[in-house]
Amino acid sequence: MIEDPISAGLAAGWQHLDAGTLKQDRLFEADVVIVGSGAGGGVAAEILTQAGLQVILLEAGPLKSSSDFNMEERRAYPDLYQQAAAMKTADKGISLFQGRAVGGSTTINWTTCIRTPEATLDFWAGHKGVAGLSGASLAPWFERMERRLNVHEWQYEPNRNNAALKQGCIALGWDYTHIKRNVSGCWNTGYCGMGCPVNAKQSMLVTCIPAALQAGAQLLSGVRVVKIEQHKDKVYALKAEALDSAGKPSGVALMFKARHYILSAGAIHTPALLLRSGAVDPHELLGKRTFLHPSLLSGALFNEAINGHSGAPQSIYSDQFVWQHGAAGELGYKLEVPPIHPVLIASKTLGYGSSHAELMAQFNQLQVTIALVRDGFHEQSRGGQVRLTRSGYELDYPLDDGFWRAARRAFASMAELQFAAGARKVLPISEGMGYLNSWAEAKQAIATMTLAPLKTPVASAHVMGGCAFGEDKTQAMVDSWGQSHYLENLSVMDGSIFPTSLGANPQLSIYAIVARNASALAKRLRPEPAKAVPADVRGH
Amino acid sequence: MERRTFLLAALTGTAALALGSYLYLPELEGIDTDQDHRVLLSVLLPVFLDGALPEVEGPRLQALNRTQEAIAASMAVLPSHQQQELQHLFGLLEAQLGLLLLTGSLTPLMLRSPSELIQMLERWRTSYVDLLVTAYQGLRELVMASFYACPEHWARLHYAKPRLFDGAQ
Repeated sequence: MIEDPISAGLAAGWQHLDAGTLKQDRLFEADVVIVGSGAGGGVAAEILTQAGLQVILLEAGPLKSSSDFNMEERRAYPDLYQQAAAMKTADKGISLFQGRAVGGSTTINWTTCIRTPEATLDFWAGHKGVAGLSGASLAPWFERMERRLNVHEWQYEPNRNNAALKQGCIALGWDYTHIKRNVSGCWNTGYCGMGCPVNAKQSMLVTCIPAALQAGAQLLSGVRVVKIEQHKDKVYALKAEALDSAGKPSGVALMFKARHYILSAGAIHTPALLLRSGAVDPHELLGKRTFLHPSLLSGALFNEAINGHSGAPQSIYSDQFVWQHGAAGELGYKLEVPPIHPVLIASKTLGYGSSHAELMAQFNQLQVTIALVRDGFHEQSRGGQVRLTRSGYELDYPLDDGFWRAARRAFASMAELQFAAGARKVLPISEGMGYLNSWAEAKQAIATMTLAPLKTPVASAHVMGGCAFGEDKTQAMVDSWGQSHYLENLSVMDGSIFPTSLGANPQLSIYAIVARNASALAKRLRPEPAKAVPADVRGH
Repeated sequence: MERRTFLLAALTGTAALALGSYLYLPELEGIDTDQDHRVLLSVLLPVFLDGALPEVEGPRLQALNRTQEAIAASMAVLPSHQQQELQHLFGLLEAQLGLLLLTGSLTPLMLRSPSELIQMLERWRTSYVDLLVTAYQGLRELVMASFYACPEHWARLHYAKPRLFDGAQ
């Protein structure tokens, strides 16, 4: 039996409270309250706690750990994903996969760690007023977090789903990279997306959050913050509601008071909470410029077994087309592969009846490649918008012509790659497309295929932006340290601060930038910290 | 005038059809299947799952029943706005006027042949009206995800989760 470090820690006295069990309204006080326990909140909680500050970490989702992770989609999606993994944009055009449990999306991501591309940092510095973030200035922070989360190049043979991506790139002379993963003692099973059953994935759930709890932080799960209470330029409390095990308000109201507040609720909920709280936003930036790396899928049938459910889900990527037209030119796309599990594939492929059943019968011969479109750099690529609705919030993301041009190029690249890797047939996942038998046939068919919202499935697991950082107040809600431009005791530390998408999977960028910014904040809140922070942190 | 108002209301309502999907918790106790549109689903499931269901009658019936349960459980874990959208769609398909609006015919789905049902789904699927496309996609995702969420239905896929250690669930 695998030891569950969370159960062990709780038994040893970690302070965790499932707010759904509370019967009475409660007030909590601390030095710092962090809203959200994902990549941003987890890192911030560890750094601030270890600096000697009393920290409360809030999570809307439940606390689940390895003994709950049974490698079945039917349990993982309702337990660990926002809206049971059925979340979509306002017009249903894009499926969104985001975590909703302690550890946030790090509990269910596919462990790909990529440093923020230099081209992205240059673009932010040149066009978005972001100060002090360059490859060189961030390098120590990347190194620190890579050490902390055991990020190393995956040394095992890629599974055959990834190997096809690699083989295609080799055959075509395209760029490819072996992925670095945040794992320690990985069993190479391929179930990262359902919560790591053996605690090998170095998610926030088993690294920074336990470290913070060990050092005295308090974790509350089942807490939804509903309002930031402000007076003049200060936050004086967070109003929250307790959620029951079904995620519904239990009727218990909670209040949190602290010297400083950190929003790490992700690129949907951080802007939504600020909007709901009527936060000062003179340039009407909140919730706007939300980016998704909207992604297309291409299936391919091979004669040999691919078994895309088995083995590290992502171990190879190709950046051949990410920066092809320059940062601000026509949209580029990154090529990766997803893990192949029944519910995900059955629902994201097209059709029904015998054609669908035949595809599913070839499940183990199916290779899937995805193209993640780098949105937010081109002048016309303005992304989506998080809006408040009567019942809550929605993310509206119109897929524009520039995106569809990139999608057509991406479908062609994926088909070319899959045939070059030895595919027998390629199936671009878009209504109206059948199996294509050769690259020549595919090239012609893709050039004229119909691409449209709802007809072409688009998915995203990378929600970014909506509360950008930078020094230019006409473009940014928080400064380059994550400090609010308007509220002196509020910071934002999550993917919502990115002023564009990244062109890379986001977890490592969030870890490193938050480590930098939280260290500076720790120094500011506690001038004589219990533990020294690196000398290059100047604070401000 | 009253009828016109009702039609408009129904159309406005269906415009909100969203339909996410699926997934169900393994614990099936406490689900009141009488409210789960079993009759409607018993007509639609064989069309969606043609080729995926066992051919022998007994196992086929078992798979259909299992999928009905899985759909009810999938619905139960969806956020309330998605549940409402699906309930709304089912309600329309079970009502004469709704049926007319969505399918252009008053003939109850129970009395339609498989080819007529396929025709209906194809009309939604390829429609220029987004609400019909989302109705098709929502139903499709609900059925497919619920069916393939059940380990009992993985035999044709040759898929099984690894047994990592004794006592694996």
